[in-house]
Amino acid sequence: MIARLRADARALPVLAALVVAFGIAAAWNPTFAQAGTYAAIYAIAAIGLSLLMGNVNQISIGQAGFFGIGAYAVAYGTTSWTLPQAAAWPLAVLLGVVSAALAGLAVGFIALRFRGHYLAVATLAFGLICVGVFHESAILGGAIGIQDVPYPQFGALTISGYPAYWFAWAVAALVAFASINLLRGRTGRAFETIRNDELAAEVLGIPTRRFKILAFAYAGALAGLAGAIYASFLGIVVPDAVSVPLSITLLLMVVLGGSGSVSGALIGAAILGVIDISGHQFENSREVAYGVLVIVVVIAAPGGLFGLLRNLAKARPRPPLDEPGATRAMPAAATRVVARAAPVESGAPAGVAPLAVEGVTKRFGGLVAVNRVSFALERGTLTSLIGPNGAGKTTLFNAISGVGTLSDGRIAIAGTDVTGWQPHRIAALGVGRTFQNARLFGEMTVLENVMAGSFRRERTSFGADLLALPSARRASREAIDRARATLARLELEPLAGTLARDLAFGDRRRVELARAVAADPWLLLVDEPAAGLNANERATLQRDLLALRDDGVTLLLIEHDMRLVMSISERVMVLKFGTMIADGPPEHVRNDAAVVAAYLGTGA
Amino acid sequence: MLQLLVAGLTVGSGYALVALGIHIVLRATRIINFAQGEFTIVGGLIALTFVQVLHVNTWIALAGATLVGFGLGLLFERLVLRPAARSGEMALTIATIGMVSILLYGHALVPGWGSLPQPLPAFSGDVSDAVAIGGASIQIQSLWVLALLLLALALLYVFFDRTYYGKAIRAAANNPAGARLIGIDVTNARSVSVGLAIALAAYGGTIIGPITLVGGAGGVVIAIKGFVAAIVGGLESPAGCVLGGLLVGVVEKLIQGLPGVSYGISDPIVYALLLLALLIRPQGLIGARSAVRD
Repeated sequence: MIARLRADARALPVLAALVVAFGIAAAWNPTFAQAGTYAAIYAIAAIGLSLLMGNVNQISIGQAGFFGIGAYAVAYGTTSWTLPQAAAWPLAVLLGVVSAALAGLAVGFIALRFRGHYLAVATLAFGLICVGVFHESAILGGAIGIQDVPYPQFGALTISGYPAYWFAWAVAALVAFASINLLRGRTGRAFETIRNDELAAEVLGIPTRRFKILAFAYAGALAGLAGAIYASFLGIVVPDAVSVPLSITLLLMVVLGGSGSVSGALIGAAILGVIDISGHQFENSREVAYGVLVIVVVIAAPGGLFGLLRNLAKARPRPPLDEPGATRAMPAAATRVVARAAPVESGAPAGVAPLAVEGVTKRFGGLVAVNRVSFALERGTLTSLIGPNGAGKTTLFNAISGVGTLSDGRIAIAGTDVTGWQPHRIAALGVGRTFQNARLFGEMTVLENVMAGSFRRERTSFGADLLALPSARRASREAIDRARATLARLELEPLAGTLARDLAFGDRRRVELARAVAADPWLLLVDEPAAGLNANERATLQRDLLALRDDGVTLLLIEHDMRLVMSISERVMVLKFGTMIADGPPEHVRNDAAVVAAYLGTGA
Repeated sequence: MLQLLVAGLTVGSGYALVALGIHIVLRATRIINFAQGEFTIVGGLIALTFVQVLHVNTWIALAGATLVGFGLGLLFERLVLRPAARSGEMALTIATIGMVSILLYGHALVPGWGSLPQPLPAFSGDVSDAVAIGGASIQIQSLWVLALLLLALALLYVFFDRTYYGKAIRAAANNPAGARLIGIDVTNARSVSVGLAIALAAYGGTIIGPITLVGGAGGVVIAIKGFVAAIVGGLESPAGCVLGGLLVGVVEKLIQGLPGVSYGISDPIVYALLLLALLIRPQGLIGARSAVRD
């Protein structure tokens, strides 16, 4: 992610220079200046949509609705309020942006209950509802809208014509700056985990839904801001101008420029903004060309123009890791391999089981995958869960970590009933988990993966991220240091800069364990960690798991490697067709007739 | 009241066919075709061209438009959907939105079509011919629309449930990998599915043409009402799509019939109903709970 963002940040000065050059050239051409002003306005809205589409993978065909809210707020406020213009304008803009952000929250809240298709339809419906309301509201002027919206005035200074170009781009630059900050900070890292693997992000304690709603609100606020400026400089707002075609145009800008990057949104907005104005006499054929263009782009260059440029740049060698903090002193490798900074302090009070499962049942249609399973774990112990394939082991893990809903039964973690909780809330209690197929964030580096592990320990606010306040920067630096320390403890330091998707299989598993450990869990569920590992890797794994246990972490392990299970477990539980058939010390379970039958059959 | 009901069922037939088209494309490609409404508009215009240029009656024009629609669907699948599918689901959805832009603005450039809606000749007699049933005056054209909707449903049912080819297409949509293993040409099935969906759009655009006019910029509105219909009824169920379409049509006409309700506010109310329907019963009236995220 940081690599992607770095390219983005590096492109911004170039784009800024282009804006300035165009602005100087446009001083002699009012049409150019006007086209440039609209490009800036579109860019503001496109940046928000770009983050929504490229960073949290949500599509919106209703951005014109938010744009309209901002535009009408300014048009109404500046023409109807009995306030001096110097006060009315900022107030109206604020009203527009806040209303659009709230609408974004609401749309996100509703739309995110559903999968992709429904979400896109819901956003389209939102846009159409807005147009309908604008059209039918007498105070908003109905079909003819609001005319004679005054230019922004600050005392004697009225901003219009050529200065409007600079004003609009100044706002766009601020928005670009804030958005890059946002992506660099904790919020951006959360976005990136969502884009890569939502489920893995959830079990690390990242409230994915909340972040997606946040992205909707941010995109809504920016579209509202763009609309507010649009109304001020155009001087007239009509319902048809903020209808579906505008939503489609914004979408095209983002796709053309490249979604998920601020620079891409700026490039797309600038190109379409200029074509829009200069191609006025080609109405209709211009829009047909847009449609053809967007289809060609998604087929031939899904990363958009900025993606193409980035790929060109990538052909040149890149300097090695130059992230903030890379040059800072490494924490000395601890003597004990997984020794943590502080002993496990939280977790269950004495006498309360870290994990208690009671009568848990999970049915898939007619199939009972887990059948009335009950057990409690003792603090600081390593328990293994074994059983033939399809016995329900991973389903039980899912149940404990809050993935899917239980058919019956209760689960208590450290005495708290967590039945029905979302995965991120359970993770936040201090429960870690790895997956059978090592769900790493493929497009992120090993370091970033491990940073995501300690996400819930980071404390910065959205506002601090946006403005890149010292507190946010410090939090980012600390997160990097913490992740590096974890990598050092697990001897994964050399892999820090590698993209997770480029890792060898054994390393994927170790990195996933590191990511889970980075959250400092006191209950850790590990799903088949030894599968596919060679003998050396198994020895390392065994050492790491035992070290965790010695630190007081309660471990529950699914594993098929019987030698490993029997040598490190204090207790072994056996599932067969969803039912617990044995539970006890390894030597006891090994000789249990039912277990032997389950594994070897009874035919002989 | 009966009059409003029939009027609602008439426009609802159009929505039902759009919803069915969306359903068929969704089954075949796993994405929503946002251009389905635009294809409905274009389909009606193609029928108009048949009438104006070839001087045939509306029945022949209906058959012609449906056939041309099928061909357009095959082209759409081959030139847009198939290549875009390689870039992922979001790209595919965006490509259909690009298609909206092409059709919405492109049809105004075609000689004889223009950007203003035009009337299509009636299926029989005059558009204003009506019969009195129980005190209500019912347009003959409305009865034709309902009859033609039933005809389309019957043909689709026979095709998908009674022919080997139709069953193969369903198998390919349900489980592409499995269908491939038993020798079904999945790519071809997908292509034919999209062809059928667009043929259905053209058919729908034509049958409602005499009453609602053809052409104009209303494609997005038709499309979204098709979605509303599909989602209210259940996107995964063909019966739900039809039911949802009729229901949306009737609700719309009833809202417009309420005293004191302006004509323009009925659409936003219908869209708000969509959001409400999504919230309360995301799987639709008919359908499994698959729409809800796990």
